[in-house]
This record gives sequence, C-alpha cells and structure tokens, in this order.
Amino acid sequence: MSFRDALNSGKFVVTAEVGPPKGTDIKKILHESELLKGKVDALNVTDNQSAVMRISSVSFCKLLLEMGHEPILQMTCRDRNRIGLQSDLLGASILGIKNVLCMTGDHPNAGDHKEAKPVYDIESVQLLKVVAGLNAGKDMMGNELKGATDFYQGAVVTPESNPIEPQLMKFEKKIEAGANFFQTQAIYDIDKFKNFMSYARKFPVKILAGLVLLKSAGMANFMNKFVPGITVPQNLIDELKEAGKEKAMDAGIGIMARHIKQLKDEKICDGVHIMAIGAEDKVPEIMERAGLL
Amino acid sequence: MIITKKRDFKALLENIADYKSFFLVGCSECASLCGTGGKPELAALKTALEAEGKTVTGTMLPKTGCQTLGTKIELKKDKDACAAADAIIVMSCGAGTQSAVEIFPDKPVFPSNDTLFLGNMTRFQMFDERCSLCGECILDKTGGICPVTACPKGLLNGPCGGTNEGKCEVSPDIECAWVRIYNRMKKINRLEDFKKTLSPKNWSASRKPATLNTREKEEVKK
Repeated sequence: MSFRDALNSGKFVVTAEVGPPKGTDIKKILHESELLKGKVDALNVTDNQSAVMRISSVSFCKLLLEMGHEPILQMTCRDRNRIGLQSDLLGASILGIKNVLCMTGDHPNAGDHKEAKPVYDIESVQLLKVVAGLNAGKDMMGNELKGATDFYQGAVVTPESNPIEPQLMKFEKKIEAGANFFQTQAIYDIDKFKNFMSYARKFPVKILAGLVLLKSAGMANFMNKFVPGITVPQNLIDELKEAGKEKAMDAGIGIMARHIKQLKDEKICDGVHIMAIGAEDKVPEIMERAGLL
Repeated sequence: MIITKKRDFKALLENIADYKSFFLVGCSECASLCGTGGKPELAALKTALEAEGKTVTGTMLPKTGCQTLGTKIELKKDKDACAAADAIIVMSCGAGTQSAVEIFPDKPVFPSNDTLFLGNMTRFQMFDERCSLCGECILDKTGGICPVTACPKGLLNGPCGGTNEGKCEVSPDIECAWVRIYNRMKKINRLEDFKKTLSPKNWSASRKPATLNTREKEEVKK
C-alpha cells in the first residue's frame, strides 16, 4: 500500500528516517533500510541533513524504490534555486517518487561547508505551493508542463516551538499552500501534544508525531539545551538515569514504545515518525514493543 | 549609510608595494561616521605611510565620495598633488573607490577599506544591517521589519523550526526576525498581515549591475 493510501485508510502509520551517507559506500544504510522493509509504511530520506554534504536525496530515494521501499523525498530550499527545485521535482517524479516533504532546510552555518552560499530562493510554504502547481500541470511561472507530477506532499511543524503563535500561523499557511500531511519535530510530552492535536484536528491534514530515540540522559539534556523546539521532561531524563549507562538505550526504546502505544490507542494522531538517529536497527524492536508488529 | 571596515595595514602595504607616492581621498559621509575615512583617519594613514618610507603628496576629504562629478570638481584644487602621486588610496567604500578610478583613468587606485553593508548606526560607531537593497520593498507587508535582511534564511512566511525563545538557530546573538515581526504586528494590530502568504521574491529586481536614470523623461521633453 502506498503511504498516501495507508494514511487515507485510517491505519496508524509508521515512518522512519534514513540519512544517506557521506561517500559512495552505502552498505550500512542499505542493510538498515532492509531491516525496516515491510515494517514501516514509508522511509524519509533526508536532504543533506544538518547542512552536511552527503549523497543526494533523490538518488537514494530511487535506490530505495528499486528495493521495494516507499520513500519520502525530503526537499530543502537551502541548496537549489527555484529552477533547480522544480527540475529535481520533475526528475523525482519520473523516477517514480511519489512523496515529498517540503522544508526550508538547516542553515549552512550548522553544517560542514560553512562558507557555502545559502540559496533560500523560496522557502517551505512557497515550495508547497510549487509542488501543488506541478501536480496541477503548471510550473511556478504558470507555464504549461508536458505531463504533471502526482506528489503527496508534506511539511513539518514544531508543536513545542516557543513562542508557539507564529509557528501555528505558519502551520496554517502550509496547509493553505497544499500540505497533505505533517511530520512533527520530536515531542516527548504527550499531554502537551494532545493540546496541539486538538487544535490541529480542525484541519484536513494527517499528522504523524515525530519521535526521537533517547539513547541516554546526556543526550536528553543536550537536546533540551541545544535543539530548538524540543523539550524532554525531567521524569523521562530520570528514567534514563535510573536505567544506568548500559541500559539507557533500552529505557529509551521503552519510552518511545510506550509513547507510540499511547498515541495509537488513544487515537491522538494519524501515525508516528520515528527518528532513531544512527540506531535505525532498533526500529523493529521499538515497533514490536509498541505492539505494532 | 554604507558601512566600511579598515583593512589590515600590512595587507594594504603589500598591495601598494610597487608605488612610492600617494594621494589620499577620504569621504565626509559614511566613511567619516564609520571612522574609516574622515579627517582623523586621513591624517593617521598619512603618518603611517610616511613611517613606512612612503610619500604622501596630499589628502582630500570630498563632500560625498560616491558623487563622481562633484568629487572630480572638488579635486581640481589638488591637481598638482594628484599629478605628483604614483597612485591614489581611497578611504571610503567600493563606490567611492570607483569614483576615483573614473576620475584618475591613468593612475592605480587602492581601497583602504572593505565595504560591508547598508547599515543603520545604532550607537556611535555601532552598525547593523536592516535593508538588503532587494529592489522591491516588502516592509509594508512585514510589520516594518525586513525578513529578507534580518532572517539569515530570508524567510517570507514565518519562523523556521530553528527559532528558539526569540533567538535564531544561526546564532544566539541574532533575534529571530519572525518573532520580532510577530510581536510588532501584534502591537500595531496587523496580525492579519502575518496570515497572508507572501509570494517568492522577484530577484530580477536586484539584478546587477543596477542603473537608474530618473532624468530620462526630462531629456526627452527637451
């Protein structure tokens, strides 16, 4: 079943994420992707994540397609102008890529080519509109395309952004621009997320809660301190601490499995997006413990 | 105003190594306020060059260095001093430097400053960039704060996921432009403007090299 059909069927959908490596040796990522095959409904392929130069997202999506996966192409506006973006979208379309996640993209300042010229010719809201246009058979300038695209398009939102009001106004702009689904920034406080969802449910879009695997109390503290829009509550940090160093990862898997189960059982959202960040091999275990496999 | 920063003196010396005598041109406008090309800086560079065994044939502080014709007229009184110099050093911005290139077609011209941005002076000799000269102003749609300039990504439709308690992900020293815009719109009861999606910018409006001739119509009449 395609990702779009899975979400529309009302099934509780699971997506995970793979980051193409830096260099042409792809043995590890192919192995990790293989572990997720048949388990998750779709796999996000990041686009030079954290502004670190890696294998192109479009190429890796194509490889995943050939292996029988359902990829979600992440597309950022950092590295291509409007000509490049539209051209790559058309290219992705003829390769059979059906899902695209439109993002602005981390600033080059965060990455390994800090001297790069940031492009940002357009940004996430405008990119969503561009995709809607390509789906309708028109480019950004209104020129007729010989053959339209058929993308299922998504966007991101940070439910715990502070201040929240401008973030929500942008969320609504993204919906207006044509977003069909959202994958959120990592959430850890389910009650707070319920508040966000009671607002987000007013809109005709599918929402997948973003979940980042906690591997240690140190990682949780680091995210609280340095990652905007992510708050790990103290009780979870304590839980990781109590588990001790060796069992911290296991405790993190337990926390995520528990959250997934609650989100599913209480029908809080339409699915989850699991970001294991380097521990993709743990995703099947997480899903098993959440009762999804 | 145009914000300039003094270049490293050693680098300047390397650039001018082939020449012995110089005429120095400052600027009474921006470079004076930046402390890079006013009266005291002209005198200081003259002293420093002489200490390095160079000759300074004269110095001049034009009213507005980028006003090519006016500067050329002002320089007439320094005709001999200019003629005696091997080269010209300009202590203003890249525009002022290129006025001199036009005025002195047969002499090498060297800039003593780096030209940084169009800036606002917030306090004495403190500057920040608020306008990027994009060619199509959107301040009327963004609460009077320019996100093309104030947001490192130049976002037009709200903050990115990197906004963090009013700060920018690029640096905690930068205020998130979109949080500033949101707060101001709220204060002046213009939050409706935030809800409107801004179209991609027309970058052809800031294509280089830009020219503007507001005299055209008048000339045609004649």
